[in-house]
Amino acid sequence: MIAAALANVFNPVCLALIWVGTVIGIIFGSVPGLSATMAVVLFLPMTFSLEATRGIALLVGLYMGGISGGLISAILLKIPGTPSSISTVFDGGPMAEKGEAGRALGVGILYSFIGSIMGILALMFISPMLAKVCLLFGPAEYFSVAVFSLTIIAALSGKDLLNGLIAGLTGLALSMVGMAPIDTKVRYTFGNYQLLNGFDITVLLIGVFAVTDIILAGFGRRTLAQRLEQKKYQLKGYGISLVEFIQQIPNAIISSIIGIIIGILPGIGGSTAGLLAYTAEKSRSKYPEKFGTGIIDGVIASETSNNAVIGGSLVPLLCMGIPGNTVAAVFLGGLLVHGINPGPLIFDKSGQYVYGIYFALIVASFFMLIFERMGLRIFAKLLDIPKHILLPIIMVMCCVGAYSSNSRVFDVQCVLFFALLGLTFKCFKIPSTPLIIGFILGSMFEENLRMALQASHGNWMIFITRPISCSFLIIAVVFCAYTVITNLKGRKKAEEEGKEYHEPEEGEL
Amino acid sequence: MTNKMRDILCSIIVIAFGAAMIYYVKDVRRVIRSDVGSAFVPTLIGWCIVITGACKFLYAIFTSLKEESKKIEFNQDMFGGIATIILMVIYMYFFQSIGFVVASACYLFLQMLLLSEKSNRKILLFAVIAVILPIAVDALFVYVIHMPLPVGVFGF
Repeated sequence: MIAAALANVFNPVCLALIWVGTVIGIIFGSVPGLSATMAVVLFLPMTFSLEATRGIALLVGLYMGGISGGLISAILLKIPGTPSSISTVFDGGPMAEKGEAGRALGVGILYSFIGSIMGILALMFISPMLAKVCLLFGPAEYFSVAVFSLTIIAALSGKDLLNGLIAGLTGLALSMVGMAPIDTKVRYTFGNYQLLNGFDITVLLIGVFAVTDIILAGFGRRTLAQRLEQKKYQLKGYGISLVEFIQQIPNAIISSIIGIIIGILPGIGGSTAGLLAYTAEKSRSKYPEKFGTGIIDGVIASETSNNAVIGGSLVPLLCMGIPGNTVAAVFLGGLLVHGINPGPLIFDKSGQYVYGIYFALIVASFFMLIFERMGLRIFAKLLDIPKHILLPIIMVMCCVGAYSSNSRVFDVQCVLFFALLGLTFKCFKIPSTPLIIGFILGSMFEENLRMALQASHGNWMIFITRPISCSFLIIAVVFCAYTVITNLKGRKKAEEEGKEYHEPEEGEL
Repeated sequence: MTNKMRDILCSIIVIAFGAAMIYYVKDVRRVIRSDVGSAFVPTLIGWCIVITGACKFLYAIFTSLKEESKKIEFNQDMFGGIATIILMVIYMYFFQSIGFVVASACYLFLQMLLLSEKSNRKILLFAVIAVILPIAVDALFVYVIHMPLPVGVFGF
């Protein structure tokens, strides 16, 4: 399997696809307003006609490049290209102000690479072990895992628990459209035969994540023309000496571990990983007062951790089929389209593709390290592309992507429906990420619930009497209670201080 | 509109959505005896949505008066947003009938025109991009990916 995977990845076509993916990903990551999610969503339909390893390799490149690319605008414009790079601005911005933009960029790229490799190593070692544990899972356990994932995601990714729950439940509701599992009863099709198979995940993703943003750009068109002052930079190598590199080893290791753990936990995302790693490094540092004034420690903590999230987020995805964040959800869609079913048996049934993903990730990391550094001047120039030209082009590509997923115009029309749904969510301050996770977990939730109840002859106690299932349900309840209490405390404290309560922002990538 | 009104409106829509979910599966019958049936999970989700909506409604009602008085600042360009949606609707409606190339060219040109301002409006550049891009994408899909896009009445 390893030899076959090596042969598949290390051939010119596959390497070219990873390279193209990484470069386009960096572009999407670096331009504020575009994102890694948008890049993966947009290119997902184009992978349908490719062989599985090649299609996945392209997506891997886009994911890797997209996350890393955010640092370019975070440093040069002081605007994070992706939410993952928020904490890069804290020290990257001041470094640019001091005339050290080149050094910040070089260090950022180098430690993005280190973080990625650490995440991939974790993925390679943790996944097989977790998969063995998951072999003990039956329908009852999978149902409880689905409940747990929905709860944790609804609780963490939203502005508050209720809004997160509304989004997650709406996603579940949308997944009910079409033929039901087990007895194929038709639901919510309203006589439309095109809905028999339900909504396509690609169409939902394109609508909610790409087209909604274009409509929002229409509402904010006056600000589209604003050009931000770009800092000049000069860079030799990666801007870091050997002594500094050795001094930063503990920072890189701690930040990587934080990124990996955050990646494994569903729903948190790269932005939180970056902020946590930054805070951890600041409290560990001998000179915490210098953080925020432009030192490499902050850039290293942020960039190492947000890239380590990539490997971490793929652990639950591959072993249990649970997407930890939005890009992982798109990734899951890509795997399913190519006939790769994530779960504990993935190493036996699709081992060749799993190893293919590992190798593609490693190659993409090296491509990112080399080509992001080499093409820095070009990527910096691309920050000037006018949005009023770029966004309509993306819209056309979205329609092409939706059409090519099933070769029917109905899907193109569904894109608009989901875009308007995404817009409604934005208006009501409801996060979009739980919607996607709910939609993906919907079939897992229903199928396993019904299978477990059939096996127990309708006895609901099966979910409580089985230890693993019971544990997940308890964790879900505890997490819900914790979120409610934290929210209420936050509001009470804010009211006491006479300030407006600012709830945590959506933790998407 | 205040935050409170927004939350009340949202909760009413959510409750109505949950109720509709429950209503539309009421006639789905159970086939296998030991199974809960295909209506069970949608009904369960429907009830969860109704309960969540009701909680949101109650929460919005009992929010302090200070919160109520806070108005949502809305300084967005309504014309730009609504015109963008209308353009998308028209584009998707004609996607099949007049074909990908013509529909996309018209959409691209009008959308770029709409999003641009007087200072950066370059009509000739917009027209060139609007014509070249759909032709290039169509050629890519027809000759490289072998997945033809809709041709429409004009035959291209």
